[in-house]
Amino acid sequence: MGIGMMILDLVSPILEFIAPMVPGDTFPYFFTMEMFQRALVAAILVTMVAGVLGSFLLIRNLALIGDGLAHVSFGGVAVGVVLGASSPLWYALVFSVISAIIIHEMQTRELLTGDASIAIFLTGMLALGLVVLRVFGGGITSDIEGYLFGSLLLIDEQSLDLIATITILSLISLMALYSGLLSTTIDPLAARVQGLPVRAIGLVFSIITAAVVVSMVQVIGALLVTALLVTPAATAQLVGRSFRSCLIWTQIFGLSAVFLGLYFSAEHDSGSGAMIALVAASLFAIVAIFKTVVLGLMSPKDNF
Amino acid sequence: MVVLNMQPLAVGQVMKQSESILDIKDLTVSRSGKVVLNKVDLAVKKGEFIGLVGPNGSGKSTLLLAILGVLKAQQGTIDIYGHKPMSRNILGKIGWVSQAAAVMPKNVRITVRELIQLGTLNSRNMFLRRRSIHREKVDRAMEMVGLEGVGDHDIARLSGGQRQRAVIGRALASEAEFILLDEPLVGIDRNSRNSLLKLLDKLCHDENKTILMVSHDLAAIRQTAHRMIYLEESIRFDGPTQEFPDLTSLAGLRGIEPVHGHEHETNISNSIMIETDNAELSKKEEE
Repeated sequence: MGIGMMILDLVSPILEFIAPMVPGDTFPYFFTMEMFQRALVAAILVTMVAGVLGSFLLIRNLALIGDGLAHVSFGGVAVGVVLGASSPLWYALVFSVISAIIIHEMQTRELLTGDASIAIFLTGMLALGLVVLRVFGGGITSDIEGYLFGSLLLIDEQSLDLIATITILSLISLMALYSGLLSTTIDPLAARVQGLPVRAIGLVFSIITAAVVVSMVQVIGALLVTALLVTPAATAQLVGRSFRSCLIWTQIFGLSAVFLGLYFSAEHDSGSGAMIALVAASLFAIVAIFKTVVLGLMSPKDNF
Repeated sequence: MVVLNMQPLAVGQVMKQSESILDIKDLTVSRSGKVVLNKVDLAVKKGEFIGLVGPNGSGKSTLLLAILGVLKAQQGTIDIYGHKPMSRNILGKIGWVSQAAAVMPKNVRITVRELIQLGTLNSRNMFLRRRSIHREKVDRAMEMVGLEGVGDHDIARLSGGQRQRAVIGRALASEAEFILLDEPLVGIDRNSRNSLLKLLDKLCHDENKTILMVSHDLAAIRQTAHRMIYLEESIRFDGPTQEFPDLTSLAGLRGIEPVHGHEHETNISNSIMIETDNAELSKKEEE
């Protein structure tokens, strides 16, 4: 039994205890049926680590790398499916990590400036996936669509174990690297003078990003990964005053988006991934409008 | 045997008093095939306040980066606290103050305290950090740069001068002894500029820090530095600030012939006078 199923065993009584208080007709099943419990636990784990990672991505101006690596993961999934793998996520993980390392090296060696290397990998790997599926597989089946737009039904026991292992390891690494990451992001030269291994930190960060993105693909879908990776962190930036408080706000916005998104999608039978992304974007819009209005009315002198 | 008759004690004292912390010999650095620094010799003693000036692209930043060990020298040696640049033995002795106006990202929500805390970081304590050990250092650094009242403020909401102070605070939190500054006066209004210079002067005299500062602002740097270095590929002037040449002789050092003869010269000296006047005026305003 893997770590994911162990966590599920731990929280499942708690979820069942909460279930009677949960509103809606279908939504309570997320707290009672094991299949949906798996999905809920995976969604919560993924959202938590995505929030921390996203906060760092945002300040490193790497908001789109998640999108790029998610498309790369899709290419990996496609290759895995065609080769008949029982768990194509492993292929996605290998593709994503290797691509992240190459993108990182291309950027630090300044072979290509800015986002160009991300763009090349994004389109190249997506195309590989599509071509491979057309030629050797059955094209875009419902399973494949699940990887593109997220499908909670895809999260079997094996997936949950992989997702839980990735998220927990990533969360621990991000916390251990917290100060180093902040330091190298804000002033890389000063960090280097202090003796921090700037390049190694960047490389490890890229690998963590690649792994986390793979863990998110089933929950929210390759095309929508950015919604949980960047949107909650961006919303938090509107509210928080320090980096630490931004991290906490990111969790609040991310988890709200997941719970509300799952609730609405369950009640209205819309896709869960799309609904979570929609709620996350709406939260951003509401906070942004509220902030502009409040700042505009309350303290014009502060708004320089 | 005659050598033994010398007074070793006196020699020792002299050595201690003017302990050399940086020794650059015959340094040549090329960047993308072009020689930027050519045979530079430079020695810095503890407690000096040195102003490094020169036109754009004259190699000032290259020299700083070479001292930090980020750029490799093609020829010559750099000896800093008796070690090579970037050596593990000198970690924490050197503080780097980047130009806040250019480097500090404006989209990051980070407080003054969070930024200054980053100064206490090194490769040994990077993963496991106990905040309490560093709190004292951070508090002291904030006090030294006069930002103790705004510790919880977002960096993005500070003025240019305060932001630069915060970056200096980061270097001080590492308890660095030798502080290198790259254009700290850019993007800062005149009043803040003067109080920033006072801060640097205080760090040099009261805290016994050694300071090497690059600046375009000749008037400002002459106000504070004890020693001036004029760099343009090689060192063209190195001496006490009061002996630093006026702009006309400087043009001579650079091999520039006056274009308009006498007329040009008076224009230049007028403009220096105006700048100095302004600096003095704002100093009075502050008091």
